[in-house]
Order: sequence, then structure tokens, then C-alpha cells
Amino acid sequence: MTDSILTIEHVSKSYTGHKALNDVSLEVPRGAVYGLLGPNGAGKTTLIRIINRITIADEGRVLLDGKPLTAEDVYHIGYMPEERGLYKKMRVGEQALFFARLKGLERREAERRLKGWFERLGIADWWGRNVEDLSKGMAQKVQFIATVVHEPKLLIFDEPFSGFDPINANMLKEEILGLRERGATIIFSTHNMASVEEICDHITLINKSQNILSGSVEEIRRRAGGNIFEVVYSADDSTLHAATNDLATLLSESQGVVGGYRRVKMHVKEDDKLREVIARLNEQCALRSLNEVMPSMNDIFIRAVNGTL
Amino acid sequence: MKNTWLIIMREWGERVRKKSFIITTLLMPLFMIGMMVAPTLMMLYSKGEEKQIVVLDRSGQNIAERLMPTAEAQFVLDEQMSKTEACRIYNEESGIFGILYIGSDVEQRDSVQLITNSSSSMMLEENIASQISAIIEHDKLASYNIENIEAILAEVKTNIELSTFLNDGTGVEESMEVTSSSINYILGLVLGMILYMVIILYGQMVLTSVVEEKASRVVDVLVTSCTPLQIMMGKILGIALVAMTQIAIWALLVIAASKFLLPSLFSAEVVATNDIMLQSLMGTLGNTGYVATLFLYLLLFIIGGFLLYASLYAAAGSAVDSVMDGQQFNSVIMMPIILSIIAMMSVFNDPNSPLAFWTSMIPLTSPIVMIARIPCGIALWEIIVSLVLLYATFIFTTWAAAKIYRVGIFMHGKRPSWRDLWVWFRMK
Repeated sequence: MTDSILTIEHVSKSYTGHKALNDVSLEVPRGAVYGLLGPNGAGKTTLIRIINRITIADEGRVLLDGKPLTAEDVYHIGYMPEERGLYKKMRVGEQALFFARLKGLERREAERRLKGWFERLGIADWWGRNVEDLSKGMAQKVQFIATVVHEPKLLIFDEPFSGFDPINANMLKEEILGLRERGATIIFSTHNMASVEEICDHITLINKSQNILSGSVEEIRRRAGGNIFEVVYSADDSTLHAATNDLATLLSESQGVVGGYRRVKMHVKEDDKLREVIARLNEQCALRSLNEVMPSMNDIFIRAVNGTL
Repeated sequence: MKNTWLIIMREWGERVRKKSFIITTLLMPLFMIGMMVAPTLMMLYSKGEEKQIVVLDRSGQNIAERLMPTAEAQFVLDEQMSKTEACRIYNEESGIFGILYIGSDVEQRDSVQLITNSSSSMMLEENIASQISAIIEHDKLASYNIENIEAILAEVKTNIELSTFLNDGTGVEESMEVTSSSINYILGLVLGMILYMVIILYGQMVLTSVVEEKASRVVDVLVTSCTPLQIMMGKILGIALVAMTQIAIWALLVIAASKFLLPSLFSAEVVATNDIMLQSLMGTLGNTGYVATLFLYLLLFIIGGFLLYASLYAAAGSAVDSVMDGQQFNSVIMMPIILSIIAMMSVFNDPNSPLAFWTSMIPLTSPIVMIARIPCGIALWEIIVSLVLLYATFIFTTWAAAKIYRVGIFMHGKRPSWRDLWVWFRMK
């Protein structure tokens, strides 16, 4: 059994007339960069709120280091919500200090660490400025520092890259990976598959309040690999649908390519059906080419949601 | 606990350092004094331009000649003109303020008329009426041909001053407290108004601040280290501390004035004047112990009243996305406050009327009404019962508000209905 820093066991949560989480279980290995994926409204934020003890689960339990969560554990968790804010009328340094002290740091220690972080991210000059004078990128740096300054062993980022410009997003990525080097475990919640592919090593996919896919990225890729083809053909959409309907799942919208052809990605459910698919495409859709491709996380995401993985 | 304290200190520190806080704290007393002194000063120094009133005297009693100019108007005699003609000539362009027409039989209705080109003042109208009455009375008395009538009249004139004391049972007049109903009413009114202002101003500040924290999503960050109850209480108590800081500064100013400034004024100037009202006002305010006790009660009722309303404002703020949306709930919260003000007015007719008594016991209206009653001398048990009820209700409303707050701060989008609030309240 692997060493898990966080264990979620059969967690369910209902709001009036709506089940936000339905019997979700997952394990986050220590030192992982863990992707929590799912469409909007799938229940990711609810799960994160339960981990942060903002809301309480109706059923099931959450273990940190094998022990049920207590109020003190918030000091070991750093959480950067998707919607983030700072007090506009407050000075940057004071504000960072306020958040750091809320996370249990003593004033002097908090100040020492914050100064270090400010130096590092090149915003030391901003210590005495008002937050409302900061650019958005600067404010996000401050927010990031406030999230990590108490050196939590578990870090949770909700859609961390949304709203960051490419330079800051890259800096953030480097810093996050750096934090992992120094022993932190990181949970990402996102619906942006590209960022997952780049840095996550484990994922859980939540859809309609349920955990529908969990594991290491490598393993999932291997499991989902094969039987994905990029097809170039010449026919209208309805003909294509009719030809492939019962044998394959389309993974993308078909797009026009050079020479009047169209291109689409599809997953063929069973190996021995491939020949039949080729035959039909050839016959009905003027097949031009067909290549096997490795599945992207996006493909896997769509197939998992459609139940065809 | 530590986190609540951090939030309190943040709320307090941010507000107390604002320029607007410092300015209002120092200027408010000056403003209040100004409000009291300004009307007198204006009367003294700015008489404005003198009004000319043309008098058409048809009484045959030479009334017009005996009219004395008032502070604002002079009377000009015109013997010849008819009323209609005068009205045409002395119109707005003429620069004349108006026409005073005195008919042949002065005591008949509609016989004395003031026809003006612009609106006249109550003071001027009263002055004219009383002058003419006095002249007629004088003429009537003179017609009896009594010897030395002037001397007799002067001799008959009487003016009684009523001194009032609160019976302390000792029978020793010197130990009894000097009271004055009018001073008590004024004090009650001022205290009630202070409480009203604090509840409204600082209560709204809670609402605005909760909405801002929610809209800017700072609260999403805060909840990762504090419980919603801590955040709400930290905010309410922090703002309460701001209010108390302000009142404490005012109290110090007033007490200092009562201790050092008033005694020196009292001895010299005030005793010289015979204004009993002014004397008892100085007496009341010069009683430092009494002033301090009043401030203690004021503080107790302000804390209770503010906390009660602040929790309601916090719940309302947590439920909406913008201050504008908050108005829907704000207007409902305002209702009992307005009611308190109306009930407070009844205190001035009779501080012990059933309406005054009950509204000073019911927690939503009690802070404002009770503080207005206290200067009138209310039994201590009534004050204690009122305070206990107030604080018990505050605990209840805070508990209820926290239940709405903890759900509300995460709800964005549609403005919630009353039914939604009820659903949130009952959520586990």
C-alpha cells in the first residue's frame, strides 16, 4: 500500500434537492501533484471545501496522515481558491502578515518568511503599497505567497492558472514544482486538461458527483491507450455518424482540412471492429487516411464522461 | 479565539486609521455645538435686509403710529391710498415687503390683514398681532380713566419660577437632586439620537463590509483558516470597537468639559443671568458623576443594541452580492429602528406611559427608547431587565445570523428570497 497523505472515504454531501458528492473515495499519495478534474459543477469545489473543513460531509470521512481531520489541520493545509481576493484598502505587507498569522504563524516568523518570499518573487518594493495600486499579476503573487507562507504539507489550488498571464503562470508552475521538491503534496482542481498533462502525476476525475476515474497519469494513459485514430475523409457529418455510429465514439468535432477533406478523432471500442470501421469509412466516406494516436488527457476526459473508457 | 482577535484588530485598525474616522471624531462635537449655537448667532448677526411694510390704518385709533419696528421689519404709514390701489402699486417690483391693512373695527374677523409679496415669518406675524392687541388693550384700560394705571400694571406683573427636586426621602432640600424636565428631555433626545446614529451608521458599515468581503472573494480565503462564525463575530466586534473608540473620545471630551470648563463658566456668567433653564443645564452637565453614569448606560445600550442589529445586518450582507441588493433587507431591519424613534417621542410626553415602558423592554426598540427614558429617572430594575432581555436577544440573533451567514457567503448570483434564507437557516 502506498503512503497516502490524504484519504477520502465514501464522502457524500447533499444540498437541498441536489447531491453534490455521491460516495466519493480517493487517495492522494504523499509528494504527488494530484489533479482533481471534472466539468464545472461536478462537485470538485464541494470536495475541496470538505477537505478544508469549510463544510462538513454528510457521510464518510477525510483522513490526513491517517487521522480524521481536526480544526488544527487547517494550519497544515494551504488553499488558494479559484475566486481569490485581497482587501483593497490594506497595505500589501500588512495583508500578507494578516493571512500568515491567521494560519498560525507568529508575527516575527511570519514577517521573516514573507520578506523572503517577496524578495524571491521580485515584489519586495511593494510591501508598503496599497493593494488597489497593484496590477493583477502582482496581486496574484501576493495571493500565492499568502497560500504557501506557512509551509503546509498539503497545498490545494483551485484553477490556479486561470487569470494568470503566461509569464506568471510559468513562474507559478515552477514555484509549485519547487514546493513539491521540498516535500509538499499538491492538489490541483481544474478543467484545463493541458495543465494537467504538464505537471500532474496522479488524477481523479469527478463527474456528476461521482469519482469515475482515479490513478496515476501513466497508468491511465496506458489503460486508455490504443484504438484512437485520426481519420481524414470526405463526407458530411451525418454520413460519418451513420457509418461509425455503433462501432466508434467520436472524440472531437470534425474539422475541415486542406483539400476539402475533413478530420476527426475517434475511438474504436473493440480491436476486431477496426477492419469493419475502415471498410465502412472507405465505402461511405471516401477515407483518405487513418492513423493511430496516443490519447490526450482531454480524450480520456471525454471518454470517461461518456462512459466509453 | 486567536483568529477572531486577529480579525477584530484588522477591522479596527483599518478603520481607525482612516482619515475620515479621525475627521468625523474630532469634528462631530464641533458640529453638534455649532448646531446648537448657530441659530442664535444667525439671529444676532444676520438680520438680513430690513423689510418695509406699508400700513393702511382705517381704525381711527392711531394704531399705525404706535407700531414699533420689529427686528426684521419697519412700518411705513400711508394715509391716502385704498387697499386695492396699494396692492397694485406696492407689488413685488416695488421693493416693499407687504401691506398691513387695519380695518375700522379691529376686533372683527378679517379686519386686520397682512398682504405680502413673499412669504412672511411666523415671528413677524405674531409680533404684529401682539403689538396691535397690546395697543388695543392699552386703549381700553385707558378708557376706564383709572389713576396711575401704568404704575398699577407694572406692579401687577408677576413671573413665577418653578424649582424642581427629586425627593430622596431625607427631607433635606440641599441633598436633593435638582431636576428639570426640559433638561431631561433634551438629554434623553440627544442620547437616543446618538444611539440611533451609531446603530444606523455602524450597522450599515457591517452590511457594506460583509458584502465587500464577499464580493471581493476575500472571504473565500478567510474561511480556509477561520470558521464563518469567527469571521462574522470578528467583523461585528471589530466595528463595535471602532464605534466605542469614537464614543470614548467624545465621552472624554464631554467629561473634561464638565469637569474643567463648565465650573468656571457656571460660577461667573450663569449665576448672573436669571435663566433657570440654562442654570439647570449647566448644573446637570456640571455633575461629573451623573454624566459619567449616563455614558456608562449609553455604552451598555449601544453595545447591546449595536450587536443585536449588527448580527442582522451581517446576515443580510452575507445573503446578497451588492450593497444595492442589500436594501431589500435593510429596509426591513430599519423598521423597528424607525419605530423606536417614534416611541422615543412619546417618552417626552410621559416617560412612564405604557408605550414608553413596553417599547423600552422589547429588545428591538429597547436601546433607543430606554436610553431616552434614563435621564428622566427610571427605576434601576427596569434598566436591568431591559439590558438582560437585550443581551439575551443578541445572543439569539447572532446564533441565527451565523447560520444564515455560513451559507450565504458562498452563494452568488440570484438575490435570495426570504424563503431561501429560511432554507439556509435550517441547513445542517
